[in-house]
Amino acid sequence: MAKSGTINAPALQLGATKAVRAGEKSVPTLLLAPTMIIMTIVGLYPLLHSLYISLTNYNPTFGTSYSFIGFANYARAFGDGQFWYSVGLTLAFTAISVALSLTLAVLLALLFNQYRFGFVVLRTFLLIPMLITPIAVGITWRTMMMPDLGVLNYLLSLIGVSHLSWASSPSSALASVILVDVWQWTPFMFIIIFAGLRSLPKSPFEAAAIDGAGHLATFMNVTLPMLKPVIVIATLLRIVDAFRTYDTVYIITRGGPDFATDLLSVYLQRVNFRIFDLGYGSALSWIALVIVLVVVLVFVNLTGFLKLVADKENR
Amino acid sequence: MSNSRILKSGAGALAAYGLAIAAALFFAFPIFWMVTSSFKSEVDISAYPPVWSFSPTLANYTQLFTELNAWQALLNSALIVGLATCIAMAAGTMAAYALARFDVKGKEFLAFEILSLRMLPPIVSVIPMFIIARQLGIFDTPWLLIAAYALSGLPFVVWVMRVFIQDIPQSIEEAAMIDGCSRFETFWRVTLPLLLPGLAATMVIVFMFAWNEFLLASMLTSQEAKTLPVIAANAIKPKAIAWGLASAAGVMMSLPVVVLVLLMQRYLVRGLTLGAVKG
Repeated sequence: MAKSGTINAPALQLGATKAVRAGEKSVPTLLLAPTMIIMTIVGLYPLLHSLYISLTNYNPTFGTSYSFIGFANYARAFGDGQFWYSVGLTLAFTAISVALSLTLAVLLALLFNQYRFGFVVLRTFLLIPMLITPIAVGITWRTMMMPDLGVLNYLLSLIGVSHLSWASSPSSALASVILVDVWQWTPFMFIIIFAGLRSLPKSPFEAAAIDGAGHLATFMNVTLPMLKPVIVIATLLRIVDAFRTYDTVYIITRGGPDFATDLLSVYLQRVNFRIFDLGYGSALSWIALVIVLVVVLVFVNLTGFLKLVADKENR
Repeated sequence: MSNSRILKSGAGALAAYGLAIAAALFFAFPIFWMVTSSFKSEVDISAYPPVWSFSPTLANYTQLFTELNAWQALLNSALIVGLATCIAMAAGTMAAYALARFDVKGKEFLAFEILSLRMLPPIVSVIPMFIIARQLGIFDTPWLLIAAYALSGLPFVVWVMRVFIQDIPQSIEEAAMIDGCSRFETFWRVTLPLLLPGLAATMVIVFMFAWNEFLLASMLTSQEAKTLPVIAANAIKPKAIAWGLASAAGVMMSLPVVVLVLLMQRYLVRGLTLGAVKG
């Protein structure tokens, strides 16, 4: 990978202009065509269809006929307490889970950035959780968290912690699914931040050491600012994915007990595929989509994400 | 070094190892538990306190293939994910080449439009896909999932391959073209061989996300086109949960991804961050 760093970007840009040779005018269009076709047919068309359905009272359990009802579904959504409860829960889940995994990932990256015997092997263990199929993660954690038979309560009893109810009680269910999410996705943030840390230049650290800066001061004033692009990218990707969390929660709690983990995707799944209220469900998904976009846009504006990604020299 | 310095650095090393081992245990233990559970008999798996040494059995794995129809699901998963990955790789690499090497009007806008697919929650497109599939008669066939997974793989391929292509100096291609190669020949003989590691790494990422996908798979299939995550989820029934069976399914479907990714670890970070962070 090191050799890739030696190419400078301005030369590339220059080359790109030169690259359009005689008779090649249509080449880029042809090259882009398959992607555009897939995006239009499989991406855009269903999205627009969903927008249309959201303006109807379509429900296949009541037969195939349905009528156009304007924005009635959206009006209904604004009064749907359960929906907004799910939205709030999902935002809380996302915020807590991402904040915890980010903190943990930064600490782990700093820890494993030391060159010590055996750390490479230990590091590999920190990679695997994100590779496990989320359904399998849900199954495994659900077994481990069983209050009476689970291995976690057994291990805790050995160190004198009394019986925890984990995902089976409304008061601890959300914390339990957050724990599972943090377990699975901290590795994702860890390897990105770790890679970022390893690629930082040495000289600022040497300068900080000469200036007599302590560990904490070096971290706050040197490491963190230089790591910002990497942290921002990892966090944004994680926010988008945490917001749509479904698999593990579906396996562990199905939104329960007592709606304590009724995340947006679980709630929407219930409206769409248990009650088959597809018109209403489509309206809710569109609201969910807008919420995601708002969250992403706010985040992008706060952090200057686009500039970071587009800035090839920064990589 | 004075004695106190040695003591201090020794304590530091001890703390570092303590923390690192604790972290590794935290992340590895559930995987250890899943793997051992999959080899436990029904008696051992429901024993309390949990048993740590037991005589391993393959009963769960045989049951997986006899009762849950895992062969069918494995074939479905392989076919659907394999084809979807190929489509996404082919279409996406072409687009990436266009974006990396040509002046395309509204290039950045186009690139971000493709990126925005990564932000789209699947729960939004699942209803229209469900309805359209019923109308077209392709519900519960592999085609629907192939199309959906090809789409969700595209942003990874376009963004990551674009970066990998930009990493190859344009001058190499120009030299080949001056020597009389057509652009296609240049791509095929010069650029593609240099791109192979990047292609392989991107492929692994696209494969991983499609292979692990559950939401669309569970809602757009009912019998015939079920994939592995769907049958694994089926092992969980409201009353009697077959934990050994479910664990075996978990191990079986996670294994290919773990092996593939560990082989391609070097490029993983770049793929996961859509090319934005160098691994």
